[in-house]
Amino acid sequence: MRVALLGAGTMGSTHAAGWAEVQGAQVAWVFDRRPDAAERAAAVCGARVAASLDQVLSDPSVDVIDICLPTPLHKRHVLLAAAAGKHVVCEKPIALSVADAEEMIAACQQAGVRLFVAQVLRFFPEYAAAHDAVLAGQVGEPGVIRTSRGGQFPMATDDWYADFTQSGGLVVDMLIHDFDWLRWSFGEVERVYALSTAGRELNRLQYDLVTLRFASGAIGHVEGTWAHQGFTTALEVAGTKGVLEHKSTLSTPLVVHQRASIASGGGVAVPESPLSESPYTAELRHFADCLRTGAPFKVTPQDATEALRIALAAVESARTGQPVYLKGGR
Amino acid sequence: MSLKVGILSFAHMHAYSYARSLKARPDAQLVGIWDADAERGNQVATQFGTSFYAGTPALLQAVDAVIICSENLYHAPLAIEAARAGKHILCEKPLATTVADAQAMIAAARESGVQLMTAFPVRFAPAVQRARAAVVEGRLGRILAIKGTNRGSNPGGWFIQKELSGGGAVMDHTVHVVDLMRWFLGAEVATVYAEAGTRFGTPNCDDAGTLAMRFDSGVFATLDPSWSRPAAYPTWGDVTMEIVGTNGTLTLDAFAQSLTVYNNDAMKAQYLPWGSDMDTGLVDAFVTALTTGQPVPITGEDGLAAMAVALAAYRSSEEQRVIPLAEVAL
Repeated sequence: MRVALLGAGTMGSTHAAGWAEVQGAQVAWVFDRRPDAAERAAAVCGARVAASLDQVLSDPSVDVIDICLPTPLHKRHVLLAAAAGKHVVCEKPIALSVADAEEMIAACQQAGVRLFVAQVLRFFPEYAAAHDAVLAGQVGEPGVIRTSRGGQFPMATDDWYADFTQSGGLVVDMLIHDFDWLRWSFGEVERVYALSTAGRELNRLQYDLVTLRFASGAIGHVEGTWAHQGFTTALEVAGTKGVLEHKSTLSTPLVVHQRASIASGGGVAVPESPLSESPYTAELRHFADCLRTGAPFKVTPQDATEALRIALAAVESARTGQPVYLKGGR
Repeated sequence: MSLKVGILSFAHMHAYSYARSLKARPDAQLVGIWDADAERGNQVATQFGTSFYAGTPALLQAVDAVIICSENLYHAPLAIEAARAGKHILCEKPLATTVADAQAMIAAARESGVQLMTAFPVRFAPAVQRARAAVVEGRLGRILAIKGTNRGSNPGGWFIQKELSGGGAVMDHTVHVVDLMRWFLGAEVATVYAEAGTRFGTPNCDDAGTLAMRFDSGVFATLDPSWSRPAAYPTWGDVTMEIVGTNGTLTLDAFAQSLTVYNNDAMKAQYLPWGSDMDTGLVDAFVTALTTGQPVPITGEDGLAAMAVALAAYRSSEEQRVIPLAEVAL
């Protein structure tokens, strides 16, 4: 399986490292409009740097296009990849509108290529284990589910996250992880009500509190922040039989303390939660396995679209100040 | 002078700690107890070395002030009777079960020239007071949002009989943290959106919910008042606040001061609290205000404002719309 990686930013270099671990997959090309970034990512996975997108798309030996470009570029590149007859890995969020997402899915179907949207949270072992525990009835019937995610404002090339028309902002870019995991674990969402700092003149701060009501009757509360220090996640599922909790701050089997000097004792403590396989590697390995065997993906592009639908409902609710009803709601 | 105090009803378990706190004050005297349940009244009178009164008029004659810990429904008639007898009142939360009742209590106290204080003991937790100071002193910059929880265990008994309690988890656990939010921000809740329901098996009574509020200052907040702590949980519940400002964030966990005990008889982990007793702070504040002729620090209006938010939450959940508080608190 030969892969071409488009985009060598934060996610692109993460995928480059992931592909390097996937047996039977080889990154043939890395393309980025910044040659130095492309060089660095290519070095990680033993690939060559492509001079142009055409060079990648016209290479008949390439089976898979992996799109790690800023979100507004997803659709155009998925359509190009499909037209070239290549299978597609596309970073989340799938797109910035449901219409775009559906067009991308349809184009891949018509071209007979498979589309995998990298909703990586399902491959994080703590979230996978929580999902399995809930479905195994460990907490009984779920009643109230609370999630938290965030840290500092993300910095990236051209500062594209800061332009919410490009990134979708915190809700579409980041909380889509939780929305996908929640829908996977607790079923369809009926209505959404969101409170947000979006739209205020705040310098690199965003904070959102989203209320969900599931079709099952369960209540969801999703916190997203680009107003804190250091990245953390948390999860709580309370049900009729028990409570399940995850806190990233408590899941650190290793903390390295380095003294600045013997005398002062000052310095830093760096907590770590190491894994034998990164969730990003796991999702790419899953993609490669499914492509080889024809098995369905654990997360479908339709799932990614539904997560986007919830995120867009939250954005709309925050803007209008009113609850937004999804299908089945009023 | 020594303040003569009577306790009207031990239906609410806080009466026990209020009685203990009173007994510890050299300038206050627990003169007697009235309880509609004569057996319980006699028993607690013996326990606290005081007299049981079979009727309220006789007890009211013997005291300067009363603490009301009856079922919520009876707060109003007892408070109005005490006010008309010229006695100061410390009333357990929620202040009443309807806006009309709360207003009648406030009016009766004003007309008789007595003080009416609402029992919000969490204001007296040292960590809570330090958190408020950080907010009020502007150390977080301008406050943008607050995420609160007051999760608990199903208290059973009359708490889950709506005709006596006025409501379940939302009525029981909205008022504490809404009071803290109002107190910290010096602002009033303008709108409430809420999801509420029965998710933890309480018959005919809400036991789960989440409130999403906008304050008149522009701050937004959510609050989880669910009785979502299972029997297996290490403690009864929590009071937490995550406060987000333009210059920083604050994390408050009011009951974090505890030992963790693992005991084979209990067959579950248990938190053993060692933090300062907030109920004593509350009773001290009441007694000190009355003996020094100062205004009580938490008024009937404070109790009404917090209770009105709970009532708005119920209406929001029923009608699935955002409720302006003015609709509820006339």
